[in-house]
Amino acid sequence: MRRRTFVGAVGGTATLGVAGCLTRDGNGNGNGGSGSDDGSDDPSTDDSAADGSDGESLSGTLEVVTYESMIDGENPAGPWLKDAFEDAHPDVELEWTLLPDGGINHYIQRAEQGAEIDPDVYLGLNIDDLVAVDDNLEDGGLFAELETDRVDRADRIRDGLDMGDPHGRVLAYDTGYISLVYDESEVDEPETFDDLTEPEYEDALLAQNAQTSAPGQAFLLWTIDAYGEDGYLDYWRDLQDNGVRILDDWSDSYYGAYMEEERPMVVSYSTDQVFAVAEGNDLTRHQVGFLNEQGYANPEGMAVFEATENAEVAYAFFDFVLSNEAQAEIAERNVQFPAVESEYVDLDDEFDEYAHVPPEAVTVGYDELRGTLDGWVDDWAREIASQ
Amino acid sequence: MSPAGRTVFVDRARDCLERRALWLTALATAAVLVAMLYLPVSIVFANAILADGAVTLEHFADVLTDPFYVGVLADVFADPLAIGTHLASLAGWLGAISLSISLEYPIPGTDVPIPWLAVETPGVRTGLFGFTAYQAALSTVASVALGLPAAYVLANYEFAGRRTLRSLTIVPFVLPGIMVAVGFYAMFGRAGTLNSILGVVGLGPFPFVETNPLAIVVLAHAFYNAPLVARITVAAWESVDRRAVETARSLGAGERRAFRDVVVPQLAPAILTGALLTFIFTFMTFPIVLALGGLGLATVEVWIYDRIQRLDYAEAATLAVLETILSLGLTYAYLRYESAQAGFSRAATDRPREALFPDLETMLSPKRLAIGAYGVVALVVFVGPMASLVVGSFTDGSGFTLRNYAFLLERQLDGASFQTRPLPAIRNSLLFGLATLLVAVPMGVVISVLTVRAGRSGTVVDTLAMLPLAVSGIVFGIGLLQGLVFGIALPGGWRLQITGAVAIVAAHAVAAYPFVTRNVSPLLSSLDPAMVESARALGASRYRALIDVELPLVASGIVAGAAFAFAISIGEFSSTVILASGSESYTMPVAVERYLGRRSGPAIAMGTLLLVVTAVSFVVIERVGGRYEL
Repeated sequence: MRRRTFVGAVGGTATLGVAGCLTRDGNGNGNGGSGSDDGSDDPSTDDSAADGSDGESLSGTLEVVTYESMIDGENPAGPWLKDAFEDAHPDVELEWTLLPDGGINHYIQRAEQGAEIDPDVYLGLNIDDLVAVDDNLEDGGLFAELETDRVDRADRIRDGLDMGDPHGRVLAYDTGYISLVYDESEVDEPETFDDLTEPEYEDALLAQNAQTSAPGQAFLLWTIDAYGEDGYLDYWRDLQDNGVRILDDWSDSYYGAYMEEERPMVVSYSTDQVFAVAEGNDLTRHQVGFLNEQGYANPEGMAVFEATENAEVAYAFFDFVLSNEAQAEIAERNVQFPAVESEYVDLDDEFDEYAHVPPEAVTVGYDELRGTLDGWVDDWAREIASQ
Repeated sequence: MSPAGRTVFVDRARDCLERRALWLTALATAAVLVAMLYLPVSIVFANAILADGAVTLEHFADVLTDPFYVGVLADVFADPLAIGTHLASLAGWLGAISLSISLEYPIPGTDVPIPWLAVETPGVRTGLFGFTAYQAALSTVASVALGLPAAYVLANYEFAGRRTLRSLTIVPFVLPGIMVAVGFYAMFGRAGTLNSILGVVGLGPFPFVETNPLAIVVLAHAFYNAPLVARITVAAWESVDRRAVETARSLGAGERRAFRDVVVPQLAPAILTGALLTFIFTFMTFPIVLALGGLGLATVEVWIYDRIQRLDYAEAATLAVLETILSLGLTYAYLRYESAQAGFSRAATDRPREALFPDLETMLSPKRLAIGAYGVVALVVFVGPMASLVVGSFTDGSGFTLRNYAFLLERQLDGASFQTRPLPAIRNSLLFGLATLLVAVPMGVVISVLTVRAGRSGTVVDTLAMLPLAVSGIVFGIGLLQGLVFGIALPGGWRLQITGAVAIVAAHAVAAYPFVTRNVSPLLSSLDPAMVESARALGASRYRALIDVELPLVASGIVAGAAFAFAISIGEFSSTVILASGSESYTMPVAVERYLGRRSGPAIAMGTLLLVVTAVSFVVIERVGGRYEL
């Protein structure tokens, strides 16, 4: 008898499963939940008076979509940015939205299908995101061209971080550098890319899949910068002969293989020691190496979606992000390098000591990536995976 | 209406409903499948046969003639009629094979010579598909080899904690791929747990992962799938008719003979089901191969993911359709075999189990020693990686730490609304798991009932019903995104949009019901049809006969399927992360992924919570479910 009621109830539930799935266009996109303050940090007043002048007149909700580590994870900059920005503009609410799983592709697909795009601002845009937008949508699409004179602090951004967008849609707010991290008790610091193909570094290097991983793609582009379009595959053949291992993404190559001492070298970030110190690790295994005295720069930018009706607030937000204090908070909490010239930002000595800047920064720019990036990555991946 | 009249009416209504219950459930099942499976998948699959709006086969031609994908078969597909040429190249290849015997030292770091029969074959370009099938076959063999002894012990021996251990075999199944990879490195890495233990007795360190990455990938696949094989087989073993064995013995068959002639035929469908599921899963493996083996061991699914990332839907869909055709073809072949295994009725009987550790003398018998050796292997392969994860969540560079859990606690207490908190993730996982179980069990049972004795057409429907297992998870996810999350425009300004909790449960149920069907169908097909027929002849509706006669006899399969449904829901990641986007409906695996940043500690602590919550719920579920088993 008991079994009978059990199965009977189950039958009833099955039919309820698909209820309530029609919505009328135009309603049902209101996002209720107003963000509760996390209250952990008390942002002090900003360095400049620029905010005060027109700050009082701004109002509304600014929806900013960004990647996970900006707002989640340990001690991220996102919650601080929200509190400080809302303090500076009391009638403005900043609403964080977590970047959906597909990243920029999510919004490219939405645009292609004519589905609504809710956020006003995209924080964390890379150069190759812009290339993907322009390769798939119309040139200069998805994001609005910025009127940089509406962002007073835009001229503080360092040379070389302009991201090269011919449509002027993006402003850099921080950057990271891809470098090698190695164990000095097992190998000497490799000086050049050629060194990595020497017997001394046989079966020593861990890298990541450029198809799926950001540092993996950056390292590939770095070799393309060093050996050219026509030479990089030959170089990778040499690396393969010397036993390079290409794992899926940064987490498994670093926390899986490298930290369990599978190999003495890994493609990683030049801020490695900041985390190692925080983790209580010995720095022997956390030496940062810059090949050819270079690091590959991955600037991150901010942009406004074309469809936004909050451009005014967005510009104020961009200006705020480039302020002295916000730049320092983003750098130290997210462990990235500021986008502004050093006179416009004060960093802790500890950050300066452990976060290393390469003597020379290289980046493959928008123009070279446009229309070629997919082919480069594909040729490379087929070379590695051929069975 | 008089009270008596009302009773009659209610009775009639109930009768009417009862007679149609089976069909109503079938209709509901079909509706869920259309909305949550056929629609999303066909949105993506359509890209495989469309070019500029016209139907074309050029995408298939491109893939099938590309040696990168199909290896040597590319020539055959390019010019299928040049049979003479193909035969000549085959003959040339066969002629170049050579055999040799040598002494090898395959165990790393030791000088134990092992005679090695080497088959020298001239290189064959297998292509991505060939390699994918190869590693799936190896993984299937490994999973069956590691799963069967566990099934044997759990079904035949009694020992303290047997039921709990049986429940816990599901736990590896729910672990997110990245956690398995990190766990395997923590266990088998040069600085890992196993080398630390060996170091105590002065051995090592051995580079287990580096020596043979493919072997480690296969082992990780067995970590996932051997428990699957074991569970399905235990369920069948426990319902082996004890009396049939005893009859055989009383007719003079030796123990071994009785096992071979009576037990094995009853286990074979279950073992083959486990092997089939393992092959299909590992054929479509994705994060594990790249995380442990590297891009050199890339599978088809890796390329599907890449094509989707590059928004090249035509090629992604073509690869995915080929994957699905292969998987469904294999499923069909298996189901033809399963439906041929009809016949002897059996009833689950209370099996007498031998004590595992009766006395010291028995314990030193070869059989007990072999079981002991298997126990050590199981400890290393299954418990090792998970235990290493748990230890990792409590350590950092300076030793023992609670900071990872302090982070989770702090996030739970002070987390902002846009941040991921642990308790909602746990609550959602459990709620979705239970809801999935409640939806998937009737779906799976109804499909079993409708297909099991329907002959060849039943086999076709049954094969198609296995589609959720045979479709690339990446394609399914993209289909859900484009179909249900973005919404499908309907006339009149309406938009069909399904997201949030309801969609997640429906997607999980779609992924889970095949497990119910595959656990129930073999048992159902071995029931004597005469039992149902006599119940029907005595006036019972089909539904009543099912509830009162058949289901009680296959209860062990239903409970096993329900447990899988719950596990699938708890472990599901790829469609959950898409449907939960922008809502509070995130689950434990999604939380693990979100906590994974430049520090791995918080994610590993969340992964440990996932392990503990899953383990506890399975012990509870199977205690409760066990009451429905006979």
